[in-house]
Amino acid sequence: MPEMNAAPVTILLAGRIDSGNASQVEAEVRNQLAGKGKIPVVLDASDLSYISSAGLRIILRIRKEYPRLTITNVSSEVYEILEMTGFTEMMPVEKAYRVVSVEGCEEIGRGANGTIYRIDKDNVVKVYNNADALEDIQHEREVAKLALILGIPTAISYDVVRVGDSYGSVFELLNARSFSKILSEEPEKMDWCVREYVEMLKKIHGTLVPPGKLPDMKDTVLGWARFMQDHLPEEAGKKLLSLVEEVPHDDHMIHGDYHTKNLELTGDEVLLIDMDTLAVGHPIFELASMFNSFVGYSEFDHSVIKKFQGFDFETGKTFWHKSLAAYLGTNCATKIREVEDKARIIGYTRMIRRAIRRKGLETEEGRAEIGFWKERLLALLEHTDTLLFRTDEMEIEAENDNLSEVQSFVEERLSETTCPARAKMQIGLAVEEIFVNIASYAYAPGKGKALVRVEVSGTPVRVTVTFVDGGVPYDPLAKDDPDVTLSAAEREIGGLGIFLTRQVMDDVAYEYKDGKNILTLKKNL
Amino acid sequence: MLSIEKKIEDAKASVSLAGRLDTVSAPELEEVLSKLIPGIGELTLDLKDLDYISSAGLRVLLSVHKIMDRQGILKVANAGETIMEIFEVTGFSEILNLV
Repeated sequence: MPEMNAAPVTILLAGRIDSGNASQVEAEVRNQLAGKGKIPVVLDASDLSYISSAGLRIILRIRKEYPRLTITNVSSEVYEILEMTGFTEMMPVEKAYRVVSVEGCEEIGRGANGTIYRIDKDNVVKVYNNADALEDIQHEREVAKLALILGIPTAISYDVVRVGDSYGSVFELLNARSFSKILSEEPEKMDWCVREYVEMLKKIHGTLVPPGKLPDMKDTVLGWARFMQDHLPEEAGKKLLSLVEEVPHDDHMIHGDYHTKNLELTGDEVLLIDMDTLAVGHPIFELASMFNSFVGYSEFDHSVIKKFQGFDFETGKTFWHKSLAAYLGTNCATKIREVEDKARIIGYTRMIRRAIRRKGLETEEGRAEIGFWKERLLALLEHTDTLLFRTDEMEIEAENDNLSEVQSFVEERLSETTCPARAKMQIGLAVEEIFVNIASYAYAPGKGKALVRVEVSGTPVRVTVTFVDGGVPYDPLAKDDPDVTLSAAEREIGGLGIFLTRQVMDDVAYEYKDGKNILTLKKNL
Repeated sequence: MLSIEKKIEDAKASVSLAGRLDTVSAPELEEVLSKLIPGIGELTLDLKDLDYISSAGLRVLLSVHKIMDRQGILKVANAGETIMEIFEVTGFSEILNLV
């Protein structure tokens, strides 16, 4: 049937179509289609401002004869009519895209797939690099929705627009400032930025994603490692591949492009944007991309970072190291270095692959750059046996049988700093009292989990142990201290745990937040 | 990890504790002592090698102390510095017969 491939005839509809002119419009349309057979018909509604039921009836009549009929460039007003009357379900109806110009607009973010501009005080548009980006836009919208539902504060686009030859999606982002901007303009806010940045990072990595909803970052990284097989000595290539293969599957969320341009401060709320790289996977993959954003991409040419982030190489490096230390909850330089090296392995792998695919091997400058990274990668591969690392928190079933596991977790973290034996014993005591309390009461008679976090920070060193449980709200500090001057006969058995905890720690604070009991214990060493 | 060693001579008993007296090991000690104390007039707990005690351990000490108060005496011997400190902040140093 040759007709199947026939070019569609486009007919322009304009102005208002109502009972006054409907029959006239119908005659004109039929006139244009006369003698053309059953070709596809496109009704271009660019200039159509209103259509009444009389107008809708002619569309139905025409469609009866020309079943392959579509309506395009429909304004929001007309779309509403078509939607209400069920036309959007009967036939393909495409909305008209608002046209937005980003000329002279401030660039506030840039990711792998697009650039974000502020178009007015309250709105930003993300313009996609890919000209045929409608699918990408749909994807990003879906993952942003998923993230929002899972508790990640983010913005969801409310409109799709045309920007030049590309598409853009529009977000509301009131008075937002990116963390890159804050770091560039107010360097004294570095530590505050690090805190908020790491808090959001932990929130992302603590979010469990239902299976199949997001791509697995490990598959992507395995692809990079396989690509590298042709560009590395055989042994090194094999090692790289097996290191990545040994990273276990992880259903926790990772952002995939987590740098300071993708974190926005609006009022006092911190929002994560640019969600199209959202994935699941082990946090080492995230750290690798963070390393590249703040250090890796600019390690060969230090001026690169200024273009992307607005701050200089030293600032980027400091921010990265401080963030990694806070994320790992340690001051221990060796430990930080160890994890950084693991991140660098994946980071360099990604950059070398990217440079080669961009024909870097064909120019002298490209070869120099690739050589620079390759040398580092090979040195790292030599002394690295795993990409896994431990963070400063553990989640565990709250039951007494797990006490020794919790205690050895805490002890191990303390062994990374110089902690006097007496303080170690005291912290251990507090950990026992609190964990046993949660195990006995938080979920009784049911079961549940407790999260234990150990942070070692500052000079002089301060150890912070945090317990989080989702059990019944209970403030252990609300109880009066037991009277320790009573005689044996007068004293009740028990009730000493919290009292002891307060005695051996410097600060104990309770908070109930987002349905969780949060108990924070601090000790200055 | 707690090791418990007992010596009994007529109505006198001595129990040496070594290691950690915590939530996990306290019930074990409680069981050993509750079987041992009927008919005992003087019980000595030797804490020379005890490194650690938590409120679960203190709870056992207090309940044994109360029982022994009615039938004789509980002596607590050789508590080291760390254990002593816990006894002091909790007022146990005033209650227990420390020797």
